[in-house]
Amino acid sequence: MRVYYRFPLLFLLPSLVGFLAFNLGPILTSLLLSFVAYDGLRPLGLATFRESWVGLENYRQLLEDPVFHKAFFNTLFYVAVAVPLEIVLALLLALGLNRPWPGVRFIRTLYLLPTVTSVVAVGLLWRWILNPTVGPVNLFLRWAGERMEGVYGLLGLTPPSWVAWLAREGPGWLSDPAWAMWGVILASVWAGVGLRMLIFLAGLQNINKEYLEAASLDGANNLQRFFYVVLPLLSPTVFLNTLLAMIGGFQVFGLVYTMTGGGPLDSTNVLMLYLYRKAFGVFPFEMGYASAIAWVLFLILFALTYLQWTLRKRWVVEEA
Amino acid sequence: MRLLGKLWDSLVYLVLLVGGVSMLVPFFWMISTSLKAPGAVFDLPVEVWPKELHWENYQRVLTSVPFGRWYLNSLVVALGLTFLNLTSGAMAGYAFARFRFRGQGALFLLFLATLMIPVHVLIIPLFILMRNLGWVDTYYALILPGLFDAFAIFLMRQHFLHLPRELEEAAIMDGATPWQVYWKVALPLAAPALATLGTFTFLAGWNSFLWPLIVTNSLEMRPLTVGLAVFQGQFSTEWTVLMAGLTLGTIPPILVFLLAQRYFIQGLTLGSLKG
Repeated sequence: MRVYYRFPLLFLLPSLVGFLAFNLGPILTSLLLSFVAYDGLRPLGLATFRESWVGLENYRQLLEDPVFHKAFFNTLFYVAVAVPLEIVLALLLALGLNRPWPGVRFIRTLYLLPTVTSVVAVGLLWRWILNPTVGPVNLFLRWAGERMEGVYGLLGLTPPSWVAWLAREGPGWLSDPAWAMWGVILASVWAGVGLRMLIFLAGLQNINKEYLEAASLDGANNLQRFFYVVLPLLSPTVFLNTLLAMIGGFQVFGLVYTMTGGGPLDSTNVLMLYLYRKAFGVFPFEMGYASAIAWVLFLILFALTYLQWTLRKRWVVEEA
Repeated sequence: MRLLGKLWDSLVYLVLLVGGVSMLVPFFWMISTSLKAPGAVFDLPVEVWPKELHWENYQRVLTSVPFGRWYLNSLVVALGLTFLNLTSGAMAGYAFARFRFRGQGALFLLFLATLMIPVHVLIIPLFILMRNLGWVDTYYALILPGLFDAFAIFLMRQHFLHLPRELEEAAIMDGATPWQVYWKVALPLAAPALATLGTFTFLAGWNSFLWPLIVTNSLEMRPLTVGLAVFQGQFSTEWTVLMAGLTLGTIPPILVFLLAQRYFIQGLTLGSLKG
């Protein structure tokens, strides 16, 4: 087989330029920026770095910054709730849609449509859907609450207070600090579940049918086949899918920006939103501080990936 | 037992179908709101589908903000990114698949390592760079950072590696230069991979938000996503107009997806995803 041996500069030139100018350069600059106090106005040169060097001060301040803490735990909460919900729902959907139903491709497409819709559209749309008085979610909840009241009435009982609450008003989705994050999670699961499902479907279709047939011959029922055959063979996909969902979840931004703007009372403020606000939000910009947030977030993602990768050996079955 | 199984199957099918249709409820609500009378959206009881269709909401979103310009910007950015990404990604992918040169393995690893770096680490210095170049609020800033994309390079390299070499070798025998071999033989054979990558990049470009939000500040340079998000305050009392805008903005990505669904799914099953 013949290959070319000359250095293929022509072919690599565009990517190399892009890599150096828009990736490697910015990465190194970002790291340096996290050690300076920089308002984003002065021209950025060696002198600027020398004059405004603060060392680890930005990172130290993060440890004491209550808003950062809040954003950190909000992000954690969002990931801890939205990701498992999305993964479990997507797995169930994929199992159901991996069968030759009539019109199965069409049904899959229905679940995929939100995935290709922009986060901005999703966010603004759900802000409207979750409107407490005229949004369909609360309309439905009120309707259900009234039905429940009716049932209690028929039985001659007084409905519990939460039923009455449901029938009168229902959750204040994006306006009540206790409910706001749940509203964001609802929208994000709606938007994300199709994509996760698709990845599971691809994984399911790679499973060798012979294993399943063998298990059936041995008398395994559906549940047993799922837990002892399908799930182990699917574990690499579960691993990848969960990791990707978590990485995406830690970087949630557009949904929060459009749905709540981080409010009310910082109840939906997340790390990316805080970073954005610090770097570009209000003057004076704190680009050094924001860079420190960026690197903390990077360290979280890196640790997460590393951890998942190490734990992988424990629960991912590699096919022999 | 068989009957119970059939019953269970029908139930599962019904749940999947109803679930799928209910995924459309938000879209339905978006379109329904976009056709309601502007003042009537908060009236109770709520109209599920308006009796009178108020198409003027669409007219208003087109005239009250530079909607056409935003639409055009989104198109220019998405197409520009796609073109750039395909060009540079395919070229570099070809180089990694078909050339041998010193430092090749290290360079490829270095490129791949950037997949680990999330965009938020880049945006602040990238913004400063764009400002120093005087590119803030221009198409350059919106498009040119797409010149390098490790995922594109990886995808194209995989594809070229799996192409049979016979045709390329025949062209070399006939005295074609490396560029001619690439341009006339290898690239046309890579059409499916290009379609996959193109679909992905177009959708990502049309839907991108954070970077355009940072790097544009005039009304005229906003892509649709940013325009609508930033001006929602202005619309907040006019949900009908906002929903008309969202409806128009959601059509292109859904259309592209429906037309190129096969390629989109291929891109995913290659194990590849970009946030």
